[in-house]
Amino acid sequence: MNAYFLPRDRVDELVGRLLRAAEVIAPKRVETGDVFYSPVSSPGEVAWDYKTAVEPLKRFLLPQQETVLRFSTGEKLRVEPVLEEKDRIFLAVRNCDVTGVNVLDAMFGGEIEDPYYMARRRRATFISLACLEADEQCFCVCGDAGPFLKNGYDQQWTPLAEGMLIEVGSDKGQALADAHQDLLSPAEPDQVAEKLQLAKRAEETFGEFRSYIAAAMRRLTLAETPDEVWERLADHCVECGGCTFLCPTCSCFTVTDRLEGDGGVRERHWDACLYNCYAREASGHNPRAEHSQRLRARFFHKLSHQWAQRNGRHACVGCGRCVVGCQAWAHMSAATEAIRRG
Amino acid sequence: MSNPYLPDIATIQRVKPETYDTTSFTLKFDDPGVWERFRFRPGQFVEISVFGAGEAPFCISSSAHGREDFDITVRRLGRVTQALHAMGEGAQVGVRGPLGNSFPLDEVAGKHVLFVGGGLGLAPLRPQILEVYRQRDKFQSITVLYGARTPDDLIYRDELEQWQNLEGMRCLLTVDVGGDGWTGNVGVVGSLLSEVKFDVGQAVVFVCGPPIMIRFVVRDLVAMGFGEDDIISTLERHMRCGIGKCNHCIHGDKYICLDGPVFTYRQMKAMMELEP
Amino acid sequence: MAEIATICPYCGCGCGLYLHVANSRVVGTAPMRAHPVSRGRLCLKGWHAHELADSPDRLTRPLVRRGDELQEASWEEAVSEVVRGLQGVIERAGPQAVGVLGSARCSNEDNYLLVRFARAVVGTQNIDSGLAAYSLPEQIAAVSDARIADLDDADLIFLVGAEPGEEEPAVGAHIYRALQRGAKLVTASVRRHALARLAALHLPLKPGAEAAALGSLLYELVVERKLAGDADVTDLTAALADLKPAGAEGKTGLAAALVSGAADLWQAAEKVVVVFSSALAASVEGARAVSAMGAFRALGAGPRVAVLGLLGRCNLRGSWDMGVRRGFLPGAPAGDLAAEGRLKAAWGGDFASGEGLPAWEILDQCQALYVMGDDPSRNLPDWAARRARLEQVKFLVVQDLFLSPLAELAHVVLPAASFAEKDGTVTNLEGRVQLVRAAVKAPGEAREDWRIIAELSRAFGKPVSPQSAADVFAEISQAVPAYAGLSHHSLQAAGGAEIGRDGAADALAGAISALRAAEDGAQAAEQFPLLLVADPTLGTWAEEVSVSHLPVAGREFTVTGKDYPDGMLVLNPADGRKNDLRPGRPVEVASAHGAGRMQVKFSPEVPEGIAVTPYHHAARHRIMNIVAEVETGRPVFAPTPVSVGAGK
Ligand SMILES: Cc1cc2nc3c(=O)[nH]c(=O)nc-3n(C[C@H](O)[C@H](O)[C@H](O)COP(=O)(O)OP(=O)(O)OC[C@H]3O[C@@H](n4cnc5c(N)ncnc54)[C@H](O)[C@@H]3O)c2cc1C
Ligand code: SF4
Ligand code: SF4
Ligand code: SF4
Repeated sequence: MNAYFLPRDRVDELVGRLLRAAEVIAPKRVETGDVFYSPVSSPGEVAWDYKTAVEPLKRFLLPQQETVLRFSTGEKLRVEPVLEEKDRIFLAVRNCDVTGVNVLDAMFGGEIEDPYYMARRRRATFISLACLEADEQCFCVCGDAGPFLKNGYDQQWTPLAEGMLIEVGSDKGQALADAHQDLLSPAEPDQVAEKLQLAKRAEETFGEFRSYIAAAMRRLTLAETPDEVWERLADHCVECGGCTFLCPTCSCFTVTDRLEGDGGVRERHWDACLYNCYAREASGHNPRAEHSQRLRARFFHKLSHQWAQRNGRHACVGCGRCVVGCQAWAHMSAATEAIRRG
Repeated sequence: MSNPYLPDIATIQRVKPETYDTTSFTLKFDDPGVWERFRFRPGQFVEISVFGAGEAPFCISSSAHGREDFDITVRRLGRVTQALHAMGEGAQVGVRGPLGNSFPLDEVAGKHVLFVGGGLGLAPLRPQILEVYRQRDKFQSITVLYGARTPDDLIYRDELEQWQNLEGMRCLLTVDVGGDGWTGNVGVVGSLLSEVKFDVGQAVVFVCGPPIMIRFVVRDLVAMGFGEDDIISTLERHMRCGIGKCNHCIHGDKYICLDGPVFTYRQMKAMMELEP
Repeated sequence: MAEIATICPYCGCGCGLYLHVANSRVVGTAPMRAHPVSRGRLCLKGWHAHELADSPDRLTRPLVRRGDELQEASWEEAVSEVVRGLQGVIERAGPQAVGVLGSARCSNEDNYLLVRFARAVVGTQNIDSGLAAYSLPEQIAAVSDARIADLDDADLIFLVGAEPGEEEPAVGAHIYRALQRGAKLVTASVRRHALARLAALHLPLKPGAEAAALGSLLYELVVERKLAGDADVTDLTAALADLKPAGAEGKTGLAAALVSGAADLWQAAEKVVVVFSSALAASVEGARAVSAMGAFRALGAGPRVAVLGLLGRCNLRGSWDMGVRRGFLPGAPAGDLAAEGRLKAAWGGDFASGEGLPAWEILDQCQALYVMGDDPSRNLPDWAARRARLEQVKFLVVQDLFLSPLAELAHVVLPAASFAEKDGTVTNLEGRVQLVRAAVKAPGEAREDWRIIAELSRAFGKPVSPQSAADVFAEISQAVPAYAGLSHHSLQAAGGAEIGRDGAADALAGAISALRAAEDGAQAAEQFPLLLVADPTLGTWAEEVSVSHLPVAGREFTVTGKDYPDGMLVLNPADGRKNDLRPGRPVEVASAHGAGRMQVKFSPEVPEGIAVTPYHHAARHRIMNIVAEVETGRPVFAPTPVSVGAGK
């Protein structure tokens, strides 16, 4: 695929054009200092120097709470879907998060498509910003999702000394480059070399959190992990659900109806498989009544070969958000370590 | 692309109380065009919406043949099922489906067919029983063993009486606890297995019922010599979307809604190994 | 989409969170990495905070009782109904016949104006906290001096009767991380809960011997290991005379070797943080046990010691500071002349400045009740008995988000704005004053609690000047010394500002008198072989109104009620088998005080010989022995010998 160079002094011009073309979601620093992927209205709002965003991109494709149907129960029952469609460009987002979207694509696409997810997904363009330095919690290197990617993005930008190296990864990304050729020049070999240098250096900035994903995958796939591991892990988990909500690839949802006036809406909400009542049935029977059973099911779903095969890859991109967000100590890094040790 | 979450509207044609807590509903699509593509196979299920209360999965309990409407048989338990039970003829509900896989039919031609049902577990078996019976020439024999906790818990009682007198089908009933006026068998449904006289090597069995009943019956069936692929059952799990997106029904490496709800005992064993 | 930085409305940790707002609706919650307590984490409740604002069950219009029914009414009608009802009682029986309960769930501004309304508008000094029977402001203020961040460099954490993973999960998170960096944990509790299973040492507490058990450890530290240093501990040593671990095993139930093991860990540490919670405070020895903690801080040698009292609701500490506490004015004890002067100036004249009645007596004695944002039905041991009495109250006003069980009894119900719909401040368990920000408009006609109070004050002919929550806070900063110099503006940054305590008592003196009076643990009896304990750490939030109505998370908080409709009785599996019980099945539980039905659960967390029930389940029954605590007169559950009938 093609690579281009965008000189530093033209970055804002390009961002300005993107802003006129679509809603632009970019890293934005809020007043507390935290960074969110959030709609920006001017190039100056983009926090280019951020390390990681509090949340992944999931919220924009699978909102924490969304209306899916509207119904009126008057004389005659009427039901109609509520679909949101708008063009969105996700700018300067992290590669782990883009990989997370690719995993979601496998889950929500396939033979039966989820129209709500897909409507947003089809109109989304992902421009990633490769990381030159890992954040404390990051382990995308173990998750095969960064800090630099070979594909999976529409465009991947790398901040070089003099400007951005733009690598194209899809037709969408190429079309975007084509539309703004006047600002770009084809990348020079030394610019590509500079990127490779940066990528190498970035790999050396990873900190204490590692995840033994391959080893854990093997043991999970063969159901080799003894019950005690899960029981011990259960004592290290307070069932907050944070790891699932923060995870770029966790996508469980539940559905509720809400009456409003003469009708109502059907909504779906994020759910967490670690919650006690997640699988509880109306009869009171709960196939995963023990907390340890829920943890086992979660990590099996995230890492086993069986599920990796269904989704095209395992479901951890090593973004480390569950490490930050764990209210106790049963996040991916702690769990894979426990599984590996048996 | 059609929206798989958008229910079609159907109207309740008939409400038939089966037991004190279980009622059958006959549903017909308001738009006759829907029926054309609906075409379900025995073992499949639907997601039923009672708007305002929510949506819940129920297996289709009527014949897949010769009708333009279908039945569901519903036990009153929680929000949706209570709301359904409060509805009468003429009320409208939403229907999504048919969903899930189905019982094998052609694959088991030429065999003795045994059905073992417990309680509400007769509901998913009913379309298959009717279909096998309709095509009875293709099978060596048909046996239905059905048990419930008490005589008051037996569903489809009128039909059971018919089946007991049908040519080409053997139908035996039992209850765990007898009662006034009950003159039939008393004992768990597994106790009727001693009545099975055909060559189990030439047979296939469909088992549905509460998890404990399935466990015991399957154990007995294995002991009798049924092959692991010849024991076929349906599984239930908490379910939301019915199309493999919400993840609620995952068991081991399977979606009950998408890969099931029909599984062979061999498959079920493999799932149990991954997620006991 | 906008991210509004605010504070979690649930427990006393005061986690920072963001509310996602889209199309004027709160549609999500995100954690705040920049927050000094929560650091990017939230618990189950916090993660679903947006559902509180968005719950379809919210009250949206005032309700006024007409006959047997609560009917929707306009604000004008409702306000004049409140004025009429309260004034009727005042005219007939005097203002002291009006009782007011404030709320640990509402903001400082709400509570402060409520206190002003009670004392200066209605003219009653009978104002207390809806959680009063459950918490010990005096004792906690005297001993608790630590900050949550103290856990981060502690090398020994001593958890007494607390289960922070369940009660105050954000504090739990600091403990889990401390364990990761090698800190040691010692736990003392009846149940061997998850953190207790991770502890270096667990001291199984004998119900009713909490203070004595602490005394035993103190004896070991002070007398045997001489960790008092230069401090004068003559009186303390005398108070501990009967608690020498080797001789006190019968009293405390603790083997001397365990006490000595705990003391070894203590001595090896450089910094110890002692953590206790409402679980301890709610026990029959609660007041003594909490006071006894003061002695840890008096140790002159050995590790540095800090004591952290956990508080279960987001603004329990702030509501106390505001004077929602018996015998306390905003910022000072009743009788403090300087405080009276300050308040007279601020409130425009005389007010009822006396000590007033505690909450449980308010409920018993007052003819009219005004309850803001609370439902004592789950916080009072003898709720079952009191409910009948509440039905007799001449006039009951409830201001709430939902139609709570208490609101169902009310004459007037006023719909309040949730945390997501109002500006204000809350003060967390360690004294961090933080800003809560309005993210959306309140549903229907619901209004901020403080605005409702301001409206009522005006209707009573005594208007208050503040026009906004920031104005109310400006008045607070004048009236309450610990809040001096603060303003909504100065609290903008994540984490707000940390304050000290006004009017805390002498910790060591309190400890000495508490330890002197420490009681022996309770014993089961022959015909009642199990000791039943009411445990507030078990399902701390189960069936609580503020979480039960959450569209998604509500499922998790209502399940205990579905599985254990008559109440949950948790037993060691061995005891269960001995009595031929089966999980989930109802059993008849009998004591010398009464009998009732409960459903059984087995758990190895509970030691043999003991049965545990959630505090709020115990409150529904008349099985347990309810005694008036000697120190405070609070009604508390005493560990009660019971028998369980054969399982059916
Ligand atoms: C494939 C399949 C076929 C089924 N067939 C039948 C049938 O023929 N007759 C019948 O009476 N019942 C059947 N059930 C069970 C039935 O779906 C539940 O009893 C029903 O969902 C209870 O819903 P509720 O709203 O009344 O209960 P609530 O407790 O209020 O449950 C709320 C929601 O939880 C989910 N849920 C709860 N329990 C179950 C469960 N056991 N299975 C799946 N989802 C659940 C549903 O989405 C439901 O809407 C079937 C379940 C499955 C999975
Ligand atoms: S499991 Fe944890 S580290 Fe892996 S992708 Fe999810 S949140 Fe990130
Ligand atoms: S974030 Fe940690 S405590 Fe919370 S559910 Fe996940 S593993 Fe459990
Ligand atoms: S720990 Fe407490 S303050 Fe923090 S999110 Fe949970 S309930 Fe809210």
